[in-house]
Amino acid sequence: MADHKLRETPLLDELKKGPWPSFVSDMKKMAERKPMVNDLLGQLELSYKEKKGHWKHGGLVGVMGYGGGIIGRYSDAAKEFPACAHFHTVRVNQPSGWFYTSAALRELCDIWDRHGSGMTNMHGSTGDCVFLGTTTDELEPIFAELTEKDWDLGGSGSDVRTPSCCNGMARCEYACYDTMDACYNITMEYQDELHRPAFPYKWKFKFSGCPNDCVASIARSDLSVIGTWRDEIRIDQAAVKEYADSGMEIRANVIRKCPTSCMSYDGKEITIDNKNCNRCMHCINVMPKALRPGTDTGATILIGGKAPIIEGALLATVLVPFIKMNKDDDYQEFKDLMERIWDFWDEHGVNRERIGECIERVGLGNFLEAIEVDPLPEHVHHPRTNPYIFYEEYFEEVDDAEAQKA
Amino acid sequence: MSELTTDQIADEMFNLVKEYAGKKRFKASDLTKEIIAKHGDSVNKKDCKAALRVLMDSGRCVYGYAGGSFISLPGEEGAAKQ
Amino acid sequence: MAEPAAPRKTDIGPPHYEQFLHPVIKKNYGKWKYHEYMKPGVMVHVSETGDKIYSIRVGSPRLISVDVIRMFADLADKYCDGYLRFTSRNNVEFLTDKEANIDPLIQDVQAGGYPVGGTDNSISNIIHTQGWVHCHSAATDVSGLVKATMDELYEYFVEMKLPHKVKIAAACCLNMCGAVHCSDIAILGIHRRPPQINDDSVSNVCEIPTTVSSCPTAAIRPTTVEGKQTVKVDGDRCMFCANCYTVCPAMPIADPLNDGVSIWVGGKVSNARSEPKFTKLAIPFLPNNPPRWPEVTDAIKKIVDVYAAGANRYERVGEWIERIGWPKFFDLTGFEFTKYHIDDFRHAGETFKRSAQIKFQ
Repeated sequence: MADHKLRETPLLDELKKGPWPSFVSDMKKMAERKPMVNDLLGQLELSYKEKKGHWKHGGLVGVMGYGGGIIGRYSDAAKEFPACAHFHTVRVNQPSGWFYTSAALRELCDIWDRHGSGMTNMHGSTGDCVFLGTTTDELEPIFAELTEKDWDLGGSGSDVRTPSCCNGMARCEYACYDTMDACYNITMEYQDELHRPAFPYKWKFKFSGCPNDCVASIARSDLSVIGTWRDEIRIDQAAVKEYADSGMEIRANVIRKCPTSCMSYDGKEITIDNKNCNRCMHCINVMPKALRPGTDTGATILIGGKAPIIEGALLATVLVPFIKMNKDDDYQEFKDLMERIWDFWDEHGVNRERIGECIERVGLGNFLEAIEVDPLPEHVHHPRTNPYIFYEEYFEEVDDAEAQKA
Repeated sequence: MSELTTDQIADEMFNLVKEYAGKKRFKASDLTKEIIAKHGDSVNKKDCKAALRVLMDSGRCVYGYAGGSFISLPGEEGAAKQ
Repeated sequence: MAEPAAPRKTDIGPPHYEQFLHPVIKKNYGKWKYHEYMKPGVMVHVSETGDKIYSIRVGSPRLISVDVIRMFADLADKYCDGYLRFTSRNNVEFLTDKEANIDPLIQDVQAGGYPVGGTDNSISNIIHTQGWVHCHSAATDVSGLVKATMDELYEYFVEMKLPHKVKIAAACCLNMCGAVHCSDIAILGIHRRPPQINDDSVSNVCEIPTTVSSCPTAAIRPTTVEGKQTVKVDGDRCMFCANCYTVCPAMPIADPLNDGVSIWVGGKVSNARSEPKFTKLAIPFLPNNPPRWPEVTDAIKKIVDVYAAGANRYERVGEWIERIGWPKFFDLTGFEFTKYHIDDFRHAGETFKRSAQIKFQ
């Protein structure tokens, strides 16, 4: 039992009730052996009473040489709750697809139990395995033990944030490229950019294997890689029949839901006008046994997704309609593109401006020109509707026009 | 002008941070731009990136947090004392 | 920070994922053919080789202790040869090739107090942020909000009875460290009062030009108070984003009297059928009412109920509302439509209705 007095938390105790698992019950158990969690509960109870948070801004804490991976956190009620006066976060770079073994999880738990509060987020919003609550003195020992076991810190601040991906080919038939390999490869390529912030602001990569986008890359990443295919949807007509025989209403639930009306069903077989298909995934989602993405697969790259701060939320916009995510050449085409984008951002970005906002400020057309990507109709919903065009050249003399004709 | 060594670039970066402490804050790219502006073609971004790593690994500077990852002199754990 | 004695290992990146893959997954990597939902929370993926892998999805509060993780690890050892993963919505997924292990595993998981579900046409786990548990800019506590909301929606997690999947997100401030801006239903902590300015410390802890330029509506101006350099805020231009507070700790914006929660609906990230879309405002303000936020959970239950009753099969919340129209949505939910629902930030005009195509009740 605890040799410290357990905090009374009548308000939080209300959250022990109900069928959904309770973080309060879990924390109360931890509080018996962790004074830090006991005081965390005390401070949280105070927040519930006052309807106000009690954490201050981060400070200058980190592990030697890294600018990312640690978030400093201090209580503004330290006198009352001394055990959680310092309560820093450690972001540990998760494995691709969040796959673990029990042994790996225990390894992480043991390190964290020795050096911190024992509370975690599995996982943080960006994807890291997040350790919540430790003191500055513990940071170097934690880092040493993590790296000893081949774990490393993730990103924070104005750097490449920890990339994340869906489980892709490991356990999904929709994956149009190897998201887990791409995520690992890109994470390893940009270790310096991940640990040593050198950008105007954060940069998030997310890798989804198909347009269902299970890691929300289009909404939550500056650089979104969404798997797709260029050829025909593969159809197994025998499986179509099985679905029909099992009572599926194919016309109502598949054909009529197709956003491009490119499908038909004659009561026996499905026919698809693939030239008209926009790869939305609906029919494949409903009939995974009968319909599969094609085999000429790759990805669509989109840029600039973000939440509201500062200039408003943005969904990422199409940058490259189709790219082969080629493992064999180490994703060179992708990396070359990245270098050109970051050079541009270095030159034109301003502090705390995400790339999506930067592109809106300088103009998508100018951005594309700078990074040597040809403008395409796929980049827009429709061409501009206003005539306020920034023409960049005009003729001074009749002779100039004649010269150009010649 | 002779080529600068990585350590020399790191030293110049450190001096900039020290000189402007409390007046102007630099991000990594700002320091890179300052160095390239001063020395022109004899240094490039890659040299500066290597120098930044030397500078940060030496512990002479740390990455700040508030309002952006500014390269700062190590000091008080800011928020702890407020 | 003391220099560690041993040679320093840095920039090694995460461990390679392959060592964490179940042998059946490793063998069938890239060869999966189709999947089926066997029952709520249980999926089978079938490979071209005929191999099968079963996934058992378990709800988690995300904020969990090492003891809970160790319990998951023990269950993985007992039933899954030690293999498990976490999902993008913070569920745990146990992975086994032994069909006979599914039911005993589920029994043990449930006995430990954890629910099995969250697949297909259900309400999966709520993506959420830190809140008062760990964040300096939180306007509310999302761990508590999520717990109270999932208690209310529990039946929809453990069953698959909705027209389509419903994805919910919660964020404790406008930074939205969760996909609040693109979820079927979203809970967002908000401030409603301009920041208080601590004139004595602004010049010590903040850089004034950075603070001034941090404001997206140019409401902040430099000024001098009693000889001290500081800033002032034009309250009429403040829309409570708290970006200034992020760069300047001397401008606290949290205020127990005025902070609260807003409710949003109709966003999605998937490209299925319709394009990804943003969430739209349903309720501009509900009070912060810990520990169980009854006004918030009632509102969310209401949205889910009218959606469940009115949507067609395979219609996400946003697609359903677009079909019936926003007037009907406000009519069905009984939520009041106010001036606050009409956008007045950048590109606001794009959200105005510009046609005579109007439905009358």
